[in-house]
Amino acid sequence: MTEMTRRERILTASRGERADKLPFFHWWRHSQIGWAERECRNRGMGMAWARPSYTVELRDVDVVEQPVVVEGVKVLRRTYNTPMGSIYLDEKREPGTGEWHGMRSWQDVSPWQTERLIKQPEDYEVLKFIVEHTVYTADYFPIEQAKDWLGEDGCVVDIHPHSPMQMLMIDWIGSEGGRFFIHYAKYHDLVEDLYRAISKSREPMYEISARSPADVIWCGDNIDGVLVNPRLFEQYFMPEYEKMAKPIHRQGKLFASHMDGRVDVLKDLIAQTPLDIVEGLHPPPMGDLPIGEALSLWKDKVVWMGFAGSVYTLGPEATKKHTLELLREVLPGDRLTIAMSTENLVSNENLRMVTSVLENVDLPLTGEKIGVIEKSLG
Amino acid sequence: MAVEKYLSSLKEGIINLDFGTVVNAAKEAMAAGVDPNATINKGMVAGMAVVGDKFEKGEYFLSELVVAAEVMKEGVEVVKPYLKGSSTLGLGKVVMATVEGDHHDLGKNIVTSLLGVQGFQVFDLGIDVPTARIVGAVKEHQPAIVGMSALLTLTMTKMGEVIEALKSASLREKVKIIIGGTSVTTEFADRIGADHRAANALEGVKKCVEWVTSSERRQ
Repeated sequence: MTEMTRRERILTASRGERADKLPFFHWWRHSQIGWAERECRNRGMGMAWARPSYTVELRDVDVVEQPVVVEGVKVLRRTYNTPMGSIYLDEKREPGTGEWHGMRSWQDVSPWQTERLIKQPEDYEVLKFIVEHTVYTADYFPIEQAKDWLGEDGCVVDIHPHSPMQMLMIDWIGSEGGRFFIHYAKYHDLVEDLYRAISKSREPMYEISARSPADVIWCGDNIDGVLVNPRLFEQYFMPEYEKMAKPIHRQGKLFASHMDGRVDVLKDLIAQTPLDIVEGLHPPPMGDLPIGEALSLWKDKVVWMGFAGSVYTLGPEATKKHTLELLREVLPGDRLTIAMSTENLVSNENLRMVTSVLENVDLPLTGEKIGVIEKSLG
Repeated sequence: MAVEKYLSSLKEGIINLDFGTVVNAAKEAMAAGVDPNATINKGMVAGMAVVGDKFEKGEYFLSELVVAAEVMKEGVEVVKPYLKGSSTLGLGKVVMATVEGDHHDLGKNIVTSLLGVQGFQVFDLGIDVPTARIVGAVKEHQPAIVGMSALLTLTMTKMGEVIEALKSASLREKVKIIIGGTSVTTEFADRIGADHRAANALEGVKKCVEWVTSSERRQ
């Protein structure tokens, strides 16, 4: 077999076919730049890059940002003024917020919402207006550019925001202190009504992304079975995935969702989704579903696994041991790719160690081959 | 209405996650002169015990546990003005915090609520709490237990920093330390010198109760 490019490797495995080697890659968003990253890429590590296929415009909504001090803390208040009333959120912004981690540090990249958009029942109506006046327009330049730049070095994925109920849970109501669950119990009709409005407003966006030049359409859904319990998943997430998948599959693309939490409790339901790729799965010790079990259960799906950050904290030797154990669980190594991290940064030493284990993983993988790799590492 | 009926309404209201039923039953019980401690312990706490049981059996999920704790909180608020003394705060003090750099508090808040229900006096320092503030709270409140939470591998190392700071302040031996969060493993807890890693909120609370009711208690 001619040696595949990194892009071919990732996409071949993602279609459920056998690649020449086990694909492994780093997300551009999490990657360092420098000698170790270059060395690892030269040794077979691919790159994945998530970029959007659309722009968003809010019609009849006036957005104003101003710094304010709340209980002694400086925050940025963003107020959305609509004919139905106004709502606001507060963000705590450390130096470096909104920039790439290479500008400062990973910790500062995302702002913290210290006040959510939805605080009281009256806010639902205002947010529903905003949702219903959100317009999505195709803009494929970021994906075309990334594909041009990456070439055969990796894979560009089109990124969707959180699915509608996750948007409510994580972004707009917030899960801190169980807020979402309390709203869901107390203001059930309002939550469901807004969920339906978001789902409806997203339909044009799903069509746009399905037609994008990306090979994989990826919903960054951050699924964790502790928060998204099976009842919620079945009622609100599975139908939305069905809706997203239809145009994606019509265009011959692959559909992925980010499921980086504890998903054991959801495993049977995930099996029933139209997802092609379960992205970000973290087996133990961070997650609770072993990779071997996941692959065995989801026969028609591919796993883009996320390497456990908690193992990295134990150093390169522990990282080597863990990687070899993972390989023993996934024989013959099909329907799997490994991401160096989906969470934060990886040290040069750990990046090189994972690469040392994975660079020679020819498929189909056997126990004997793993023994040879282990021996070569000393 | 007989006392048992009020208590039954409170218990069922907690089990069914029904804010209205619990708040109304608590108001009616107080108006009828029902013992406030019985209202809490034989009504609401009894309901929480069933919720906890359902959670452990997998019939209820975390979301139900959160809502039940909130329903109970609203019920207790009704009863609080009628309570004389602090009969529900007999198990000792706990300082709780999500460590610096982390703003995830779902698990911590459930543990905080459940510890309160069990009879602990909880000092919840909130999220993104600097090490010095946790140490300061331990000095000030002299708790039996310190609980720390972190979701991210990026921030969980702060827990080790807090333990070292407690050692430097000669406070480490005076408290039990329990930690929790998605990324936190037993191995990590051992490495940083914590006493226990909570597998989940209920298990963590059980461990706290076990500590203060056993010979290991450090007061």
